[in-house]
Amino acid sequence: MNTVSPTTKTSQTGPSYWRSLDELADSPEFKQWADREFPEGASENEGGVNRRDFVKLMSASFMLAGFGLTGCRRPEETIIPFSKMPEGYVHGVAKYFATAMPTRRNAIPLLAKSADGRPVKLEGNAEHPLSGGGTDTFAQASLLNLYDPDRSRQALHSGEVVDLGAATSHLDSLADKYARNRGQGLSFLARESSSPTRRRLQAELKSKLPQATWHEYEPVSFGATAAAAELAFGRAVNPSYHLNKAERIISLDCDFLGDEEGSYSNIKGFADGRAVEKPGDHMNRLYVVEGLMTLTGSNADHRLRVPTSGVFAVAAALLAEALDQVGAGANDSQIGALKNSLKQIASTANVSSEWVAEAVKDLASHKGHSLVLAGYRQPLAVHLLALALNAVLGSIGETVEFLAGRSAAAKSISDLKAALDSGSVETLVLVGGNPAYDAPADLNWVDAQKKASEVIRLGYYDDESSTGVTWHIPETHFLENWGDAETSDGTRVAIQPLIAPLFGGLSDIELIGRLLKLEEPKGHALVRASYDQEVAGANDEGWKKFLHDGFVANSAASPLSLSADGFQWSAVAPSILNAETATPPSIESLELVFHRDASMDDGQFNNNGWMQEYPDPMTKLTWDNVALLSRKTASALNVKNGELVQINLSGASIEGPVWVQPGLADFTVGLALGYGRTKAGRIGAFKGESVGFNVNPLRTSNAPYIAPAASIKATGQTHELCATQDHWSMEGRAIVREANLEQFNEKPDFSHNMDLEAHGAHIPNAEDGLPKPIYQHPYNVRDSLKSDIHQWGMTIDLNRCVGCSACVIACQSENNIPIVGKEQVGNSREMHWMRIDRYYSGGVEAKDGLNGLEGDSDQQHQRWIDDPQVVTQPMLCQHCESAPCESVCPVNATVHDHEGINVMAYNRCVGTRYCSNNCAWKVRRFNFFDYNKRPLEALYEGPLAERSKDDLDIVAMAKNPQVTVRMRGVMEKCTFCTQRIEEAKIQQKVAAKDSGEIEVPDGVIKTACEQACPADAIVFGNTLDPESRVSKLKANPRNYSVLGFLDTRPRTTYLAKVRNPNPEMPDYYDMPLSTQEYSESMGDPFSDHHGSAHGDGHEAHPAEAGSANGQSGGHH
Amino acid sequence: MSDIFPKWTNKLPGQIILGGLLVGAAVAVGVTYYATPKYTRVGYKPVQPVAFSHAIHADQLGLDCRYCHNAVEKSWYSNVPASSVCMNCHNQVLKDDPKLALVRESFETGEPIPWVQVHKVPDYVYFNHSVHVNRGFSCVECHGEVNKMDEVYHAKPFGMSFCVECHRDPAGRIRPLDKITDLDWTWSDDAEEAAELQRENGEQLVHDWRVESLVNCSACHR
Repeated sequence: MNTVSPTTKTSQTGPSYWRSLDELADSPEFKQWADREFPEGASENEGGVNRRDFVKLMSASFMLAGFGLTGCRRPEETIIPFSKMPEGYVHGVAKYFATAMPTRRNAIPLLAKSADGRPVKLEGNAEHPLSGGGTDTFAQASLLNLYDPDRSRQALHSGEVVDLGAATSHLDSLADKYARNRGQGLSFLARESSSPTRRRLQAELKSKLPQATWHEYEPVSFGATAAAAELAFGRAVNPSYHLNKAERIISLDCDFLGDEEGSYSNIKGFADGRAVEKPGDHMNRLYVVEGLMTLTGSNADHRLRVPTSGVFAVAAALLAEALDQVGAGANDSQIGALKNSLKQIASTANVSSEWVAEAVKDLASHKGHSLVLAGYRQPLAVHLLALALNAVLGSIGETVEFLAGRSAAAKSISDLKAALDSGSVETLVLVGGNPAYDAPADLNWVDAQKKASEVIRLGYYDDESSTGVTWHIPETHFLENWGDAETSDGTRVAIQPLIAPLFGGLSDIELIGRLLKLEEPKGHALVRASYDQEVAGANDEGWKKFLHDGFVANSAASPLSLSADGFQWSAVAPSILNAETATPPSIESLELVFHRDASMDDGQFNNNGWMQEYPDPMTKLTWDNVALLSRKTASALNVKNGELVQINLSGASIEGPVWVQPGLADFTVGLALGYGRTKAGRIGAFKGESVGFNVNPLRTSNAPYIAPAASIKATGQTHELCATQDHWSMEGRAIVREANLEQFNEKPDFSHNMDLEAHGAHIPNAEDGLPKPIYQHPYNVRDSLKSDIHQWGMTIDLNRCVGCSACVIACQSENNIPIVGKEQVGNSREMHWMRIDRYYSGGVEAKDGLNGLEGDSDQQHQRWIDDPQVVTQPMLCQHCESAPCESVCPVNATVHDHEGINVMAYNRCVGTRYCSNNCAWKVRRFNFFDYNKRPLEALYEGPLAERSKDDLDIVAMAKNPQVTVRMRGVMEKCTFCTQRIEEAKIQQKVAAKDSGEIEVPDGVIKTACEQACPADAIVFGNTLDPESRVSKLKANPRNYSVLGFLDTRPRTTYLAKVRNPNPEMPDYYDMPLSTQEYSESMGDPFSDHHGSAHGDGHEAHPAEAGSANGQSGGHH
Repeated sequence: MSDIFPKWTNKLPGQIILGGLLVGAAVAVGVTYYATPKYTRVGYKPVQPVAFSHAIHADQLGLDCRYCHNAVEKSWYSNVPASSVCMNCHNQVLKDDPKLALVRESFETGEPIPWVQVHKVPDYVYFNHSVHVNRGFSCVECHGEVNKMDEVYHAKPFGMSFCVECHRDPAGRIRPLDKITDLDWTWSDDAEEAAELQRENGEQLVHDWRVESLVNCSACHR
């Protein structure tokens, strides 16, 4: 069965070899010989074969082939080893490199996993002092941007493809030109950056080309707090928050857990301050004043719903009250007039004085442990008020510290526009960014850009801003280039390439370096030079350590010794007092609020399929943005979810679908940025139509975030919206269990006292008195199956979880989960193994007789959604011991393994979907189509539509080689990251060799969701080890199973949520609203009688249970 | 009716059933014999671009497997050596041998040698070399006596039943860690005694090293 030896290809690069003198001569005979497989005559049949003979011959050979089954032999594959072995490389063993994802003024420290030479997963760098190993959705999804087939691949000169070399040599000639005239006529427009190297190059630019101008523009800018602090302290500073030390927090429209920068570290601090282990533990309290319904608002203990423009007046009221209660210490004499003016402003606030007084009292009684935060949407005055509150409440130097900052060196985009109009810009260099899409509408940027005689664009995509430019140069991804950045604590972090640029290109610093005519404008040299110049004691060893660790240890800036006494009230007061108090919005004069989108950011992630399909944490909408309205506004306008409306603002208008958002301020329209791109890739412009609608035409430089006096008109048309969660309420069921802190302190095991499992009589009894499970327990059936080394389990602490959804994208990246497109999401066919369920609860009174039988489309009209409480719950395979899915699988494709994991054997699955039908948690996902192999826009064409090889080759690189890529007709679900478990077990066994120490130590295995979670809410481990974190958490009294009454014994359990409302507040609730709804039908879980009647767990007390049933009433 | 169905048709149903059964049986026998890895794979011996002989290197010269396949203890993947590894010796030994022309060329030009893959498990099987060779399972159990092969051929079937056979009974195959790459090694020269000792010592080793008998899907499929 020998096969023909493959001919060795002649080398393309090295010396060429010839096989014979004929080949060397390249004679026609040789060419003919080479084209023919065999020499002339060898394969011809001389006898003259007629058709009949031919068929005979063929069928005989087919017979033989069939019997020999040679045709079934798998195709011959070759193994291509290295020709020279690189040192230290072991094929098949993944390597991790420390790097960071640069953000606007910050960076997210990362460890990038490199498998076979390409990055396949990004994880948080837990050793970084600020990080703790958490990431956010954007960091997780940035991997897919690297492998985006639609990214810019070639340099363009006036739209024509040119060699990158031509572009760079043009840059060199420009550098020569501007070196001669000191930069006259040269302007840059860049995004913000925290890179020390870029800062250094900018300084060099200023000294070498002093006439050149440098402008920066961010569609969403987080600079307001620093600007306010500079005003208040008379020097440039950057704030650094310590949320873990904050026991009382007020957020003034600051979504610090969501769309503010640095949420990965904020969430960690917040969750650490919120976790309670046992009764009596300290827990922080969060007050939120906001107009939109943000993630932070959804985690609030007290949420004050005011229009976004009304936050200013509430902030003024809070400061006035704080000055009354506490005073301004040494500065007390300066503030008399201010206080009176503040009270005047406060009088316009739509808030009860009691709310303000009690909130301030609470913060003041935690002097030094309270914190006030203001969000990016708010004007400078609100940031100043927040700072003043922090000064008065003694937070400065405690929960908020200030690090030495730098005054903004960059000019604004408006300045650039003026320069362009005056004709003084000859060469405009766009360093990243996409101003043609996101610049303020009043600048009319597309036309302004044309006024420069030459535009050079460095862009990741050939998008709106590259249209009509002279030169377009592809930008490299942060995983392809060298760079550096600073995290918000001032720590210098490294950005190092994991792979050579896939399609060539330059990074921002390389572009600037070239225009500066530097000797070696290469990323590595530039970053190294900055390191050598700026880091104390820099040397080769230090550089290696920098790259190894990903950051320079102890390089965090030391906080300035600023105190409340240094707060310059006189400098601050005018800015506060000159700020306009907004007239409250009304139906005639609506307020538009523009916000950074949780999926698209400002449009940077527009062509990223994971982000398009990632359900917004609040609305759960995918593949769209909407005009968010409150119930009251929608009913006043007489519009419903999905109706298209026209939004008008001073002459400009846009059109988009309406969505009623519970908890939104009335007469506010929330508009997400980043959608409606006119020139995007195949995701952002799906099937040629842009996804969502563009809100930028209504954004102006004067009102970039809050725009008053807008109007809305229904168009009579509708737009299909696809949300992944249709029903908003738990309807009194104990899916998420929550209590107030006092109730937890009194009855820490309240969660055991909820739902049917607390009502033992409902569970059918077996003869032995133990409850009889509905489904067989695999280890009862076959005891030998059970491992006595590992039994895996997971806990999810709902008190820590804030709902940020980083886990969802981490899971998608780790487990090769495909996206399915909007249409299939609409058919509930999304593939996420992990989802975040979000429930609103309105309390009994507000629900007012509603029983959940109304249709999902009726919710938007119901009164209870006006001021709801929100809970979020990560939902994934529960890994039931007595799993309902297993017993219905006709082909044993889903079975239990010896370590308690409910496994899926994809090859056995025939796609009956019985398992999914029988899963009570709805966590199984079915591949209705070949999502990986077929183009998303032509799923229904099946095999008739082929995805181009180029697409497949590039996208395949993003796949985790340790996880099977599933095909059509196969069921899939969370595996507890079985590939990580197996790898850890194998490593342990390899190390154990001939010893019996094969138990994996606690903490070695982190599932992808656990690793990505910035809140440390998810803990995975071995439940057989009593010392493991998961065992200890499962012993916590808050531990419960979702749908525990089914007695399937889930391995994933939840720790009940605890809220911490202030009993003195006017909006205090004596029980979380969802618990109110629960106890309405099921009885008070905190009452002693209830508890003793049922006990906890699975013990049955039929006699007593009878009476308790009567008391709790009507849950049969 | 007899016009339509002549008499001989009476026997037809029986004949059809019998014929069907015979064909069915033939297909069943054919498939069990021919459509199994035991038939399709065992014996596969492709011609390699370089006529490398394991028999000479491993048996006559006594090179350890791990000299060339050095990743086998660290990775799931047991690597084929780079040309540079060959050249460690062959820059002195047989340095002008025409059979080694491709190796020298590869070393000089950087163009890799396209070895033809012999052993392969399907993509949905996540086999790991390191955990097997570090825990007492020799190369010979899956690859056969490679040290006796001039040209490497597929010696074992590599079907799932082949894997599971050993996974069910690791004691029947386990051996001391220093004998992993000693492919000829047995517990005794006498075959019967060797089998007895294998059972006895094997069970002891499985117990002492806590070797698990893994027959769950998750052991190999992810």
